[in-house]
Amino acid sequence: MISLYRRVWSEKNVIARRQYWGLIFVLPCVIFFIIFFLYPLVTGFYLSLTKYTLLRPPVFIGFDNYANLLKDRLFLKSISVTLGFVVGSTAPTVVLSLFVALLFYQKFPGREGLKLIFFSPLLPSVAVVSVIWVVLLHPSGILTNVVRPLTGKAEITWIHDITLSPIVIVLARIWSAMPFYMLIWLAGLTAIPQELRDAARVDGANRLQSFWRVELPLLRPTAVFVMAVSTISAFQGFALQYVIAPNQGGPVDVNTTLGIVIWKYGFQFFRMGDAAAVSVFLFICIMVVTGTQITLGRSDRYSIN
Amino acid sequence: MARSRTPYESDAAFETRLRKRISKLILFSTAALVALLFGFPMYFMAVSAFKAEAEILSTPFNWLPQEFVGLYHFESAFERAPIGQWYFNSVFIAAVQVTAAIFFGAMAGYGFAKFHFRGKRILFALILSIMAVPFQILLIPLYVEIRQFGWHNSYAGLIVPGLLSAFAVFMMRQFALSIPDELLDSARIDGASEFRIFVYIALPLLAPASASLAIILFLGSWNNFLWPLVVAQDRNLWTLPVGMTVFSQPYRGEPSVGPSMAVSTLATLPVALLFVFFQRYFIEGMMVSGIKG
Repeated sequence: MISLYRRVWSEKNVIARRQYWGLIFVLPCVIFFIIFFLYPLVTGFYLSLTKYTLLRPPVFIGFDNYANLLKDRLFLKSISVTLGFVVGSTAPTVVLSLFVALLFYQKFPGREGLKLIFFSPLLPSVAVVSVIWVVLLHPSGILTNVVRPLTGKAEITWIHDITLSPIVIVLARIWSAMPFYMLIWLAGLTAIPQELRDAARVDGANRLQSFWRVELPLLRPTAVFVMAVSTISAFQGFALQYVIAPNQGGPVDVNTTLGIVIWKYGFQFFRMGDAAAVSVFLFICIMVVTGTQITLGRSDRYSIN
Repeated sequence: MARSRTPYESDAAFETRLRKRISKLILFSTAALVALLFGFPMYFMAVSAFKAEAEILSTPFNWLPQEFVGLYHFESAFERAPIGQWYFNSVFIAAVQVTAAIFFGAMAGYGFAKFHFRGKRILFALILSIMAVPFQILLIPLYVEIRQFGWHNSYAGLIVPGLLSAFAVFMMRQFALSIPDELLDSARIDGASEFRIFVYIALPLLAPASASLAIILFLGSWNNFLWPLVVAQDRNLWTLPVGMTVFSQPYRGEPSVGPSMAVSTLATLPVALLFVFFQRYFIEGMMVSGIKG
């Protein structure tokens, strides 16, 4: 009796002790993320409350940085620039990529090959995208000649023009982002059971009706995801503006996004406190988008499952 | 395309067949137009790397180089800048980061999937929250931290902050959930230590599932722009994305469109090869991660 009891006890002990191995396995990652994620996340908030130029230790100044930002011309400008970039690139990307997904969802000869060509913007890094577009946007380059029948101009200074440069940067962004979102839409379309389309057909719906009434409502979770992801990534717009636009975010700051402001304050002016405060502001913006996504995505009245 | 009507075909049947053909033709031509529009810049990049400088910007656009200059632009790019060094840096950083992220990601994912320990939920919530926070938020404090370590302008500063990936932990946990407990238990009965079980049983089972993960991690590292831009001041520490953007500016008044297209082509080549050979994993990985966004 006693020996049996002991055996059960020790077996329990072995199992309990084994579970510590789980902790040992996750520990390297957890320690790493505490050092390189949690700690900087917290110090980021702290730095935003200090004056810090890297030369002397940070000095706590309360919410002065935030108060100053409200009067900061560059920061205020960057909010409208960022919102312009977000809206200007997200809306067309989401809609057009859905159209392309619908197109490639149909059956026709040569579809797979053409789809691969369409996917080619997935390959270059954002730095390569920027460099290519700088050449495409040469004042007397390809794009100028494509629109020449309309404008009659032999030279257009795309990236130095204060109206045109945000537009062409949005174009570059749409070009490089669309294949990814098309892929997501296509996956969403493929997940809709064919029976539902057939059922709509039997009930006498034409193609358009079947799309509006059956497929589009079922694509709602996909739509929420696509919109949220593209909005969040556009909020972080940096590399295109840094490389394509003259003087990192120029001309006259029309391409100075929040990301560019963080970089400028941090690594050009070495005003780490101000840069951290802008980061916190950007963080809040992105969290609002993420929160909206979670709320909208949750009601799965229309989803298949 | 449409064959003329067969003798036994009714009017209506012939009409539907014709209509189908026409709609296929319209679909094909629309898709071809879209593909042309999106494929053109990449084609432009690749073909420009072999064209004479003046021809790159000339009109009308030549689909093939009129004057084929061979590897001239590649050579002049290598002469002007330490491209080889940048290439090495990019490859080296990506290799270290992908290997570490896969190994430690597998270890943590296995730990989260197959063990129950105190604090598991909160630690996993930490991992999930990392994926929701964009890197730009961490840029300033992380840079300050790296400076305190004395790591700015060094390989350590370039590599270590991106060594492990929360996304890798998350994916590995998903994969590890499908490892049967019986398999692990039988190894335990045979007296294998937990670490041995991880290395010899769990890791090999996780390896094939992590192909798409490895591709995504590679892309994230290879394409990274912001972090190497701020950390590496020394030209020899630059990675390809950072180097090529500075490099694309005119050099001593000389136009450098050709060399910059050559470097762009070189930088895209490894990714293009991955895409060609591992298309399925590539696309799968893109879809689950959303890094390209």
